Amino acid sequence: MNKQNQLAEIHHSGKPYIIYKSKKGFNLFTNFSKKIILNNKNIKSFLKKKYKNKTKNTDLFIGFFGYEILNNLINIRIPKQKNIGFPKGIFYKPEKIINLSNDLKYSSSKIFLNSEFKININKNSYKKIFDKFKKKIKSGETYQIKICTKYKTKSKIDPLDFFSRLSKTNLAPEAFMIKDNNYSIISCSPENLITKKGSLITTKPIAGTVKKNKKMNKTKALYYFKKNLKETKEHNMIVDMERNDLSRICKVGSVKLSRAKVVEEYKDLFHYVSLIKGKIKKNINNIDIIKAMMPGGSVIGCPKLSTLNLLNKQEKENRNIYTGSFGYIKFNGDMRFNIIIRSILNFKNFSEISVASGVVVDSNSNHEFNENYIKAKALIDLFK
Amino acid sequence: MIYIIDHNDSFTHNVVHQFSLYDEVECDNYNAISDSKLKKASVIIFSPGPGNPKNYPSSSKIYKKFKGKKKIIGICLGFQQILFCEGAKIVEQKKIYHGFQSNIQVVNNKSLFKKGKKFKVGRYHSLKLKEPFQIRNFEITMRCLESKAAMAFENKKDKIYGFQFHPESFLTINGNLLIKKILSA
Repeated sequence: MNKQNQLAEIHHSGKPYIIYKSKKGFNLFTNFSKKIILNNKNIKSFLKKKYKNKTKNTDLFIGFFGYEILNNLINIRIPKQKNIGFPKGIFYKPEKIINLSNDLKYSSSKIFLNSEFKININKNSYKKIFDKFKKKIKSGETYQIKICTKYKTKSKIDPLDFFSRLSKTNLAPEAFMIKDNNYSIISCSPENLITKKGSLITTKPIAGTVKKNKKMNKTKALYYFKKNLKETKEHNMIVDMERNDLSRICKVGSVKLSRAKVVEEYKDLFHYVSLIKGKIKKNINNIDIIKAMMPGGSVIGCPKLSTLNLLNKQEKENRNIYTGSFGYIKFNGDMRFNIIIRSILNFKNFSEISVASGVVVDSNSNHEFNENYIKAKALIDLFK
Repeated sequence: MIYIIDHNDSFTHNVVHQFSLYDEVECDNYNAISDSKLKKASVIIFSPGPGNPKNYPSSSKIYKKFKGKKKIIGICLGFQQILFCEGAKIVEQKKIYHGFQSNIQVVNNKSLFKKGKKFKVGRYHSLKLKEPFQIRNFEITMRCLESKAAMAFENKKDKIYGFQFHPESFLTINGNLLIKKILSA
């Protein structure tokens, strides 16, 4: 039986599975022997647990941390918000991993249903929030803050159909999909937050995006970013913040900016990216790493703690998975996590897509509001 | 030992790593300061951070207690914190510098650094020192070449130093040399 048939078969069998982008294609994780639903009580023991067997490729937990639990982990409380009752985090222990190629051949016979997407913050209220945060920047309470908007629709979809179509148009390096009995997530995240192998750890923040077209090639994109003071300043800030977060857990002198401000090319756009490396100190545990790095700074703003507090006071609706992290922790301590952006959460017959863009002192409300829409559009278009 | 007082910033651990190149460093949050570490420290550092010096009365208290007794260094908010304790006004500025690389220059011949020397530095500040500013023993030693805003002060008598820019930022060229010189002063 070929592997693509295997994918369809697993999908139709109804058993939960996860797909995660690998270097050459995708990995499919399934036959879950354990499922841990995280809460504020069990997350610490989950992250501190040590394992005896660590040699098999299935000796790992794969899943996600939502935004709220990552806040709680660093002692940031979130005021009461509108909530759909989605779990704060879920991890699975797979017993089987299958390698798949980049070409996920699958087409659904089922027709999906949805109504119009509704946005939770309209242009006027967005501008009000924007102006309020700009004042906070002027008074120095934050240097950069990302306003999140959420698009929602009633829906019934086949997640694998969506994911295979999405990966045809946008093969993102941190793409993933989770299909479980009562929910699914489809994501084309481009951003890696943690790659840890042995004592070496890297993070690869993205700050700066420009659309590809006939006039915009890679060289011109680099010129655009370098010339654009706003993009440059935002990026600089994220680089220093990520250096800081790595410095919490890395040896003195080991944190290095190994690739500074380079352009990476994707199917429809260019990203402005840096790569920062470090060597983990002795006696640092998984939980220390998660607490130092998450939630990933590039999608929050800077400085992290005061900015999170400003956001949480403002936002009326739970972010659920958005700006959380998906990935795996191997039993030997190696890990890989992304930042959950450009994702669709399907739960209780609703689909939600959250997006955010940055307020710095010289950004413009209209521009950022539209930027949010552009980011959501690629995913909303899948529903057509 | 160098004791760094963290004002909840996302750059403090860059400061910790930078100073750790030269001495043992301890770092605690401003609301969890240890008296015994304060006592033991030979240098106290006020970290960068969000907000205004008046939001951090506990740091002001520490400054006033140890002024003249230990070497004190302030970075960004820490720079403003020290000047605020000396009676200066800290005000919003029209043009805001966040993630900005600026050229600055040594403007005072009482500085540890040679007058006229230029540095490329990283800046992250919404607020600035209101001038004219005149306090005994405090000299403004560096200024932004473009806006002329105060970028560093030195008080040789009491060994108090401050940088409005971030010597630990990757945007600051030769930041380690600046720190080394201040520490050995």
